[in-house]
Amino acid sequence: MPTKRILIVDDEESIQIVVQFGIQMTTDWVVLAASSGSKGIQMARTERPDVILLDASMPEMDGIATFHALHSYPETAEIPVIFLTAKAQTSDQKKFSDLGVSGVITKPFNSLYLPDRIVKLLDWSL
Amino acid sequence: MKILLVEDDEVLITVLTKSLTAQHYIVDVVKDGETGWTYGATFEYDLILLDIMLPKLDGIRLCQRFRAEGYTTPILLLTAQNSCTAKVNGLDAGADDYVVKPFDAPELIARIRALLRRSQVNSFPLLTWGDLLLNPSTCEVSYNSQPLTLTNKEYELLELMMRDSQHLLSADEILDRLWSSDEFPSEATVRSHIRRLRQKLVAVGAPADFITTVHGRGYCLKAQEPQGEDPSEVTTSSEMEPLNPLSEVTGIIGDRSSEQQAQYLAFLNQLWSTSKSQCLEQLGILLHVLQSLQSGTCNQQLQTQAQQTAHKLAGTLGTLGLTLGMQLAHQLEGLLGSQLPMPVQRVEMLSALLLALEQAIQNTNSIHHAPAAAIASIAPSSSPVGDSNMGTKVMIVDDDIEYLRSLPQLLEPWGFSVTTLADPLEFWSVLEAMSPDVLVLDVNMPQINGIELCQALRNNLTWRRLPVLFLSIMTDMNTQNLAFSAGADDYLCKPVVGKDLANRILNRLKRVSAWVESY
Repeated sequence: MPTKRILIVDDEESIQIVVQFGIQMTTDWVVLAASSGSKGIQMARTERPDVILLDASMPEMDGIATFHALHSYPETAEIPVIFLTAKAQTSDQKKFSDLGVSGVITKPFNSLYLPDRIVKLLDWSL
Repeated sequence: MKILLVEDDEVLITVLTKSLTAQHYIVDVVKDGETGWTYGATFEYDLILLDIMLPKLDGIRLCQRFRAEGYTTPILLLTAQNSCTAKVNGLDAGADDYVVKPFDAPELIARIRALLRRSQVNSFPLLTWGDLLLNPSTCEVSYNSQPLTLTNKEYELLELMMRDSQHLLSADEILDRLWSSDEFPSEATVRSHIRRLRQKLVAVGAPADFITTVHGRGYCLKAQEPQGEDPSEVTTSSEMEPLNPLSEVTGIIGDRSSEQQAQYLAFLNQLWSTSKSQCLEQLGILLHVLQSLQSGTCNQQLQTQAQQTAHKLAGTLGTLGLTLGMQLAHQLEGLLGSQLPMPVQRVEMLSALLLALEQAIQNTNSIHHAPAAAIASIAPSSSPVGDSNMGTKVMIVDDDIEYLRSLPQLLEPWGFSVTTLADPLEFWSVLEAMSPDVLVLDVNMPQINGIELCQALRNNLTWRRLPVLFLSIMTDMNTQNLAFSAGADDYLCKPVVGKDLANRILNRLKRVSAWVESY
């Protein structure tokens, strides 16, 4: 079975590095990284990851705008998206829920356990 | 914090006592060195203010005696002697600081605060515990950016618990630390203060057990949830998922060995060495915004950007394991959500928070704990009680906006569609527009209270059968009786666990549908 490919889209390089480290330490998944919404869309269209971890707040193009853009392309519309956000407020949760994201993971997190959370949220059988 | 003042000048005693008690210090006054020794050796003090020229036993010899007997209480010497020799003698005798009379009271208070910080586990100028923030220099307290109005004793009690958060405080210890030696209150006084403090904390959204009672032993602040875990989200998860959420992946991904954990911690430390400067740069942006707020030139766009920066900084610091920094950044984020122009006190609090955050970042050279394993994750479509609740409309009316914000979060995982209303004057228009299936009302609201609203509903042909639940901080039987007399179907006391509120709503709805079916 081909291994999973995860795309992390976050403008904070340290978050990208933490995600990559934790996932690669515990799985054989491939982790791709993009530092902005527009780069994330480009990468998603070419790489077709199995899931996108998307930071909710980024400059220029935030998580929600990126999510909408991903949905506008047929090649990325079906890719599950999990939002990453620091301490989601109720209004944010409702916003994400209404969008139709596959889940929300709040920062801070221990990325050693990210794969478990992703598997659980997306109901992957491995 | 309790201070022993050893001074024989009556005028100075009056001035100092007034200045110190205004800063919420408890002050014991003695007028000679020997009594100073008796008090210092018998009672526990956080600091000793010691005049040098004293009858019976001068301040230098008293200081030497304290140090010789192993007392490490910070000692600040007060004296009219301004010579270098006098200062050297005083400091060599074991004093921690030396202030020459006449002195400025604010300077003395600041030196006292500095000495107290050095002697505490938490040496930052601000005290935090979860969402609770206490600023000893301004004596301001807030919970989740909501200011708390406390009496002097309540403030002192809270500060004591935050400074001594590592262990249980018995009623006797609290009496010793917070009342002067010539006062003799009882344990009932302590219980009464604790009760009132809890009520005030709950009123701003803190859990009811924020101050925990360990029966027979004492009181302490509730241990904080592991980072990244929100109790309501954990409740949700425990309803939705098996007890061991990792069970289906054990053996596939496997548990995390201590070696992996150690490697992760080493990795975080390595990353921190490069991320620290970036965090300080982000802090620089926040400092720039603070300056514009102080000069009144800040606009909404700048403030919003600052709020987003604080939000991201909280996420980064937390993920790297800097809990204090994360909490401070969250507090900043909350404050930066204030409307412009920002009140002066909020700007001052912002300034204190930024200073504390800068210190937290600068002073962190290594990370000792990685963030906790559990990650709060929300699958929006899950409903633990079943899909039958989908679409059930709940309308909640409460003038406490912060509390109101927390309620949908408690109920939506159960599939309810929640509408909240903070202004009871808008009640009827929102009721007509939403046509809820159940109504949750607070009791005490401005202009029109919940009981009056309930009475009006019961007199209205259209709405008289709408299930009404009261959710209030009022626990007395009189209020509950009034609510039921007005036509309430149920009465719950704040704070409430999401599961309990959801179950009470469901039970009420089942009763209504059973009643309807019987007709």
